[in-house]
Amino acid sequence: MNETILTPQELIDRFTTAFGDAVSEPRIQIRAEGVKKNQNINIWMTITRDALKPAISMLKEISYPHLSVISGWDAGEELRMQYIFSIYFGERHGEYMVIFTVPLTKDDLVLPTITDIMPGALFTEREKQEMFGVTIQDIPDGRRLFLPEDFPEGVYPLRKDETGIPDKMVKHLWELGRPTDRPVPPVTEKEEEPKTEAGEKKVKKEEKTGKNTTPEEKKPEAEVKKDE
Amino acid sequence: MSDGTPTKKAPYVVPIGPIHPALKEPVQFLFELEGEVVKKADFAPGQTHRGIEWMGMHRNPVQIVHLTDRICGICGVTHSLSFARAVEQIVDIEVPARADYIRVIIAELERIQSHLLWAGVAAHELGFDTLFYLAWRVREESMDVIEYITGNRVNYGLVQIGGVRRDIVSNQHPTIKKCLDGYRDLLGKMLKLFLKDTTIAIRCKDTGVLTFEKALELSCVGPTARASGVVKDLRHDYPYSAYGDLDIFPILPSAYGGEINGDVYDRIIVRLLEIEQSIGIIETCLKEMPEGPILWEPKLPKLLSACKKAQGESVGRHEAPRGECLHYVAMDGHEAPAMWKIKASSYSNLHSWIPILEGEQLADVPIIVASIDPCLSCTDRVAVVRGVQQDLMTKEDLHRLSVEKTRRIQGC
Amino acid sequence: MKLSPSFKRSLWVFHFNAGSCNGCDIEIVATITPRYDPERFGVRLVGSPKHADVLLVTGPVTKKMAPRLRRVYEQMPSPKVVICIGTCGQSGGVFYDSYNLDGPVDEIIPVDVYVPGCAPRPEAIIHGVVTALTKLERIEGGEK
Repeated sequence: MNETILTPQELIDRFTTAFGDAVSEPRIQIRAEGVKKNQNINIWMTITRDALKPAISMLKEISYPHLSVISGWDAGEELRMQYIFSIYFGERHGEYMVIFTVPLTKDDLVLPTITDIMPGALFTEREKQEMFGVTIQDIPDGRRLFLPEDFPEGVYPLRKDETGIPDKMVKHLWELGRPTDRPVPPVTEKEEEPKTEAGEKKVKKEEKTGKNTTPEEKKPEAEVKKDE
Repeated sequence: MSDGTPTKKAPYVVPIGPIHPALKEPVQFLFELEGEVVKKADFAPGQTHRGIEWMGMHRNPVQIVHLTDRICGICGVTHSLSFARAVEQIVDIEVPARADYIRVIIAELERIQSHLLWAGVAAHELGFDTLFYLAWRVREESMDVIEYITGNRVNYGLVQIGGVRRDIVSNQHPTIKKCLDGYRDLLGKMLKLFLKDTTIAIRCKDTGVLTFEKALELSCVGPTARASGVVKDLRHDYPYSAYGDLDIFPILPSAYGGEINGDVYDRIIVRLLEIEQSIGIIETCLKEMPEGPILWEPKLPKLLSACKKAQGESVGRHEAPRGECLHYVAMDGHEAPAMWKIKASSYSNLHSWIPILEGEQLADVPIIVASIDPCLSCTDRVAVVRGVQQDLMTKEDLHRLSVEKTRRIQGC
Repeated sequence: MKLSPSFKRSLWVFHFNAGSCNGCDIEIVATITPRYDPERFGVRLVGSPKHADVLLVTGPVTKKMAPRLRRVYEQMPSPKVVICIGTCGQSGGVFYDSYNLDGPVDEIIPVDVYVPGCAPRPEAIIHGVVTALTKLERIEGGEK
């Protein structure tokens, strides 16, 4: 499946010669971990939107890539989308991560779909549509993925500007106190709760804080300290 | 029973999840049926969406590590490890080697208990409840070891940016080794119980086949991909943490002697053999653990101020029991990350439900759905399946069909 | 714990996952394994709310699951007891500010027994269920 293995610099040179100015800011990030300090390699490149699909096709010719996810970063005036691939899996210690960054301006949030060349991209493109408000052209199935259907239109949770989550949608769960008298219960019959329940509540509701509590243990073996 | 008149579609969740009346992960499937055979399947995720990425962008990295522990209870430490590695790359922290080895040990222990959990769940789906109880009883030993090392059975709280919070000292080694030796003896018995049983072979061979090409195209990860022949194992391909020092080879179904079909049987083989691999890894790590500190910076305010000054973006990955888990983090000089994206391992594998469910019988649906080991709270997904004939079956109905099929096979 | 003669049947439990991380769910299933064995109390997990006496709720309630939780609660025949397991159902836990959560469980249905912990140990869950049994006893005994 793999022909000759290219070095990272050769890989970048192939892209720059094929696409010229459309590829910019190449960066190789090398990190060595563990006792033996073997190196792992991440390659970053910035690509314009029009050169994206030809670049992915070229990557497929080098070695069939594995698309992990498409991510996005709301960096103020522009929205940067990252296409995270990895190639040469199967080689011992030989996998490279190749990350294409596509910057988009906020008044032109359109991206071409890559599901025709990589079918596994459907879920992640649907998620970007609903989380960032990016329109993906020719997507085969444009439904919402994670958000409920009655989530308001035009609110994009992962954006930081005025289309992000407004304050009134955030519910602070820790501010709500113990219900002393119930709200109108959505139940049809009454139980004799108030008297017995006050006794139960005092016994059971210990250490009800907003942070993580230590679990009840018969023989406490270790104290798990949580620092904030 | 399923080709009656089309029923009205009510917006009700039909719980289908990792397979037990208790483990109802909210997933909704809609099948298009022709008789007993599934023609098309569709699903939509999203019911446990808690907005974790959004919450993470309002907290500092140390608080986020505690949040990542609770993304998923089954594969808890993988998210913490991936996030910590991503932040360490941005801030340019060098993790002490001893901390790397401790991280590997706890990750492999988690892999053992996750595969045993899955083995019990798969047995329950086939109707072998005794095997389900046996697998979970055996899993309790590893939970005891985990509690001995970290203090809790789930949500370990062991990982910190720059290292780990607790040490594994040498007088803890005998307990761990005793448990591992017990597992090694037990593994032969479990392999025999699962793989040499005729009924399991009849039900699982050639069911739910995922071909090599489809696995490659849909970017599947983990044991699901390896069972179809795709050689993809992050611990072998990409040297990170202490895995770069160890000799790990991805396990394919051919390791048990046989050809690679990509069916449910192969996935059972891959997961059970990986337990044996993990036992070997933990023993090597215990032997070769270097001395040294366990944290890059024990004082939290200094750590936080170092994180605040950092700028850049990076990707942290880890091989979870279900596949590759990836976190993308971008920081730009504030205390909270500018962007945080989680890609859980089951995210990539859920796509594969659609091709492997086509053409299968309705009674096989529970075991096929379980065989890719979905962890829906990791993916915050809700699966809704649409079709023409909408028959709302509960999980109990499907489970009952599956058990009946097993009894029929056993009877004849 | 003394069983009064008014409660003549054993306790059947129905589990509902309202958006949890599965940690508490795994602990619930671990509780029914032979090591802890609550079947000696007669406790059993059932698959339908119409057969159950006790409802176990885990997780902070996401917006999508809130109406379903109410519906399940209404389907259960009385006398019934609701147990809320885990800290996220009680006060949010680590998910204390989110846009997709509908509040702690007792904003949606009345809760009788709380079992804190993240995740609570199986022994704690058994203790919670046994307390619920005592309470159910009291309710049924009081009605006579």
